[in-house]
Amino acid sequence: MATDDVNLAERSGSLVESHKGYDTRVIFFYFATAALLLVLVGGLAYEQIFKTAVHGKDEKVQNQRRILIPGPRGNIFARDGTTVLVGNRPRFAVMLHLDELKVELRREHIRIHQNFVDAGDKKDVPSYSQLEQLARVSLVQHYLDELNAILGRSEQVNPRELQRHFERQLLLPYPLLTDLEPADFAKLLERLAVRSPLEPTTSIARDYPFGSAAAHTLGYVGATDDVDAEDLPGAGLKTFKLKGSVGENGLEQNFDSLLQGEAGGMIYRVDPTGYKVNPPLEKRLPLQGQNLVTSLDIDLQLAAEESLGDQTGAAVAIDVATGEVLVLASKPDYDLSKFRSPGTVADIQARHAWTNLALNGLYPPGSTFKILTTIAALRRGTITPDDPIVDCEGALSKYGRVFVCDNRRGHHGEVLLREAIAKSCDIYFYTAGWLTTPDGVAEEARRFHLDQRTAIELPHERGDMLIPDPAWKERVQHEKWFPGDTANMAIGQGAVRVSPLQMASFAASVARGEVSTQPTLVHQADRPAQHTESIGLTVAQRAALLDGMIGCTTIGTAKPLTTVEDFRVPGVRIAGKTGTAQFGNKLNVAWFICFAPAENPEIAMAIAIEGDTAGEEFQGGLHAAPVASAVLKKYFAKKALANSPLAHPFKTD
Amino acid sequence: MPFRRLATAKPFVTLGLVVAAWIVVPVTIKTLARASFYELTAPITVVASYARDLQQYWSLRLHSNGELIEAGRDLARLNASYEFAVQQNTEMQAEIARLEGLLRLPAFANYRLEHVRVASRDFSGWWQRIVIRKGKNFGLPVGAPVIFTGGVVGRVTEVHAATAVVELLTSQNVRLAGVVEGDTRPISYQGGLNPTFGPPRGVVEFVPLDVFASAAAPKRLVTSGLGGVFPPGLTIGEITHVDLSSDGLFKTGEVKLDERLGSVAEVTVLVPLTPE
Repeated sequence: MATDDVNLAERSGSLVESHKGYDTRVIFFYFATAALLLVLVGGLAYEQIFKTAVHGKDEKVQNQRRILIPGPRGNIFARDGTTVLVGNRPRFAVMLHLDELKVELRREHIRIHQNFVDAGDKKDVPSYSQLEQLARVSLVQHYLDELNAILGRSEQVNPRELQRHFERQLLLPYPLLTDLEPADFAKLLERLAVRSPLEPTTSIARDYPFGSAAAHTLGYVGATDDVDAEDLPGAGLKTFKLKGSVGENGLEQNFDSLLQGEAGGMIYRVDPTGYKVNPPLEKRLPLQGQNLVTSLDIDLQLAAEESLGDQTGAAVAIDVATGEVLVLASKPDYDLSKFRSPGTVADIQARHAWTNLALNGLYPPGSTFKILTTIAALRRGTITPDDPIVDCEGALSKYGRVFVCDNRRGHHGEVLLREAIAKSCDIYFYTAGWLTTPDGVAEEARRFHLDQRTAIELPHERGDMLIPDPAWKERVQHEKWFPGDTANMAIGQGAVRVSPLQMASFAASVARGEVSTQPTLVHQADRPAQHTESIGLTVAQRAALLDGMIGCTTIGTAKPLTTVEDFRVPGVRIAGKTGTAQFGNKLNVAWFICFAPAENPEIAMAIAIEGDTAGEEFQGGLHAAPVASAVLKKYFAKKALANSPLAHPFKTD
Repeated sequence: MPFRRLATAKPFVTLGLVVAAWIVVPVTIKTLARASFYELTAPITVVASYARDLQQYWSLRLHSNGELIEAGRDLARLNASYEFAVQQNTEMQAEIARLEGLLRLPAFANYRLEHVRVASRDFSGWWQRIVIRKGKNFGLPVGAPVIFTGGVVGRVTEVHAATAVVELLTSQNVRLAGVVEGDTRPISYQGGLNPTFGPPRGVVEFVPLDVFASAAAPKRLVTSGLGGVFPPGLTIGEITHVDLSSDGLFKTGEVKLDERLGSVAEVTVLVPLTPE
C-alpha cells in the first residue's frame, strides 16, 4: 500500500495544481475586458442618455410625416364692406384614402401576378414595380367605377398622375373627382358607405359673384406648392403640402400677404411602408386670411362696364376728397368665374383682354389736356379769362404752316377762355401753348404728376407715360422742337401719353383746386381728405376755368349730357372736357374727363374709348361722355336713396 | 400530479383549439355559420316579440270601457284631421305631378310601403339598430329607407328570411343628404356618438353659412331627395346648434332627433319599385 502511494505521488507529481496567486497577464486581461465593456456601456449610455434628443429627432424624421393644409384666402369686399367681390366657394370632391387600401393593394398585386402566370410564359410576367403600378391603377379604377355607377359617368384613372401621387404624396388622399355638382355630392353622401375609403369632401375655390366685373382690378390666383406654416411644429419632418393659392394679378397679387390664410397641418406617425397611422399626433386647423375692403362701388362699376359694352376702353371714377377709386373698369375683360375653363386663356389673348386699359392704356389725352394748358397759361399770365388772344377762323397761318381748328370746322372768332374751353377751340390753345412755351406746359404737367406712375395698389403699372418737351425731343429723337410740336402738345396730341387713371386723378385734383391726387383702392371709412399743393389760380381764374368746363356740358362739345334725355343727370351740374386724339394707325380715342357736382365736387371721372376704324369720327362728347352719364346717374341715385353722400363731399374754397 | 394539471387546463386547451379552428375555417363557412345563427335565432326573437304584443294586448284589456270610449273618440277626431290632410295631400300631389309634367322634371322614385312591427331593439354604445319582423319573405331589400310617424328611422342593413336589421338614424354608420326645410342646398347628416340612455343626437356638416340655428330657434332638417335613397321632405330632426367650420366655408352642427326612436314599435319600409 505504501508502495502504491509513493508511486501515485511520483506519477502525479506534475499534475498537481499549484496556486501562485494572480497571474499578471490574466489581471491585464481582466482590466482590458473591463475597459472594453466600460467603453461599450459608456457609449451606450452616451447614445441613450446624452444623445436622446438627437436620436429622438432622427426617429421622428424617420417615422413621422407632416401634412400642411393651406388656409382659405380672405374675402375681398366692395366699399360697403358687405358685398363680396371675391370670396371662397366650396368645391365638392371625392377623395380616396390610400392608407386604407394596403391589404386590398396586396391582394390585387397577387391577383394580377397570378393572372400573368396563368396566362402562360413566365417571361411575360412584369417586374414587381410594374405589377405594383398595375395593382394601384386597377384598384383605384375599381373605386372610380363605383362612383361612375352612382353618378352615371365614365371617368378613367390617369396612371401617370396616380403614380406621381403614390411617389410624392402618399399620405394625402387621392382626389378622384373634383368640382362635383351639389346634387352629385348629395348622391354620394347617401350612397357611399360611411366606412368606405371613398370620402365625399370639399375643397376651396375662389368665387366671383359678379363674374367679369372689375376683373383686371380684382385679379386672379394660381396654384402653388409654396405653403408654409411657420409656427407648426415638425419643420424638420418630411412634409406633404396640399396645393395653396397665390395672387397672380390685381389686388389678389398686391395684397397676397394680407389675404393669404394661415396654414394648418397634421403630424402623423407612419408605418415602415410609408402609410399613415391614425389618429394624427398633432393637429392644427388652418385659419382664413384677412379680408380686404376695397374702395370700389360695385353698382357704379357695373354701370360703367354695362355702358362701355363691347367697346375697347376704360372708365375711372374717383372720390374727389379722399382719392378712393370708385370705378376702375377696363374693356374687353374676362370672366373670372370661368377663368380656369379650357380655352379661356386663348380666348382672352385673342380678344386682347389681358391689359388693364384703365391703368396701362397710354393714349394721347386730346383736348382734355387743354385744361392743363389753360392752368399753365393762367398761372404764367400769358392769357387772362377776359382777353381774346386770337381770332379763330377755322385755320391759322403761322410759323410757315397752317394750323386748323377742328378739321377747319371751327369758326369761333375772337373767343374768350370760357368759350374756348366749352367749344374746344384748337386755335385758341395753339396760341396759348405758344405764349406759355412748351417748357411751361410740360412743367405744369409734371407739377400734376402726369409724367409719373400713380402708384395705385396694383401690380404692373406702366411707367412710360410721357410729357414731352424740347429737351426730350433732342435727347430721344435727336430733332429740333418745332412750333407745331408746341401746338400739338397744347391740345394733348403728339407725343403726350397718359392713362385714364392719371386723367381721373388729374380731374379730381382740378376739382379740389390742388395739383395731385393719390388714387387708392383701399377703403377706409374715416380716411381724411387729401390735401396737396394748391393749383395757384386766382378766384376769377378758377371761376373762368369752371365756367368753361360747365359750358362744355351745357353748350359745348359734351352738351348731349344736358340736351339728350337719356344722358341727363337730373339736378346735377357737371364740369367736364371732351377730347379726341389720334393714336396708332390713325385710330381715334374718345376722351371725357369731368367732376360733379361742379360747385361742390364729390366724384371725378375719366373715360377713354378706342375707335375701331381708321379715320372714323370718334368724339368724346358722343362716345365717352355717355359712360360718365351712366356712372353719375347711378352715383347720384344711390346718394339720393341713402340720403347721404357715398363719398366724402369736398367744399372748394 | 402532471395528469391532474393537464385535466385542469383542459377547458383552455379546448378553447384554444376552437379558436384556432375558427381562424383556419374558410370565410364562406364563417359567413354561412353567421347567417345560420341569425336564421336560427330569428324565430326566438319573433316569438318573443309576439309574446310582448300579447302581453300588451292583455294589459290594454284592463282599461275600463269609459277609457276605451274616450280613446276611441280622440282617435275619431284625429282620424278626421288626418282624412282632411290626406285629401289635401292628394290634391297637392296632383298639382306637383302636373307641374313636373309641365317642366318635364324627372319624378322622384316610387315606393311600395311595407308596414312592419319591431321585434327587438339594440341601443348600445356600439350598435344602434332594431330588428323588424319582415325580411326576404316580403321582398325587403338592403338599403331600403325606413320611416315612422316621427320621420326617418334609418336604413335596412341586413335582410334575413323573416327578419331584417335596420341601422338607426342615431348610428354613426348612417349618413344621408338632408336640407334645411325650405332650402335646396345639401347638408351631410350623420349619426352621432349616442350613449345608451342619452337623448338621440346626430351631427351635420357642410351647413351653408347663412343658416342659423339654436336650441331656442331650431331649424328642421329634412331629407333632400337628392341622394336617390330617401324621398324628399321626411323629417330627420332639428338642428339646434351650429358652429363655423375650420375652413370658414361651412358650419357644422348638432341635430336633435325624435326621442320616440328609442321606443318605436311600428315602422314602414319604403321598398323601391324600380330597384337599381
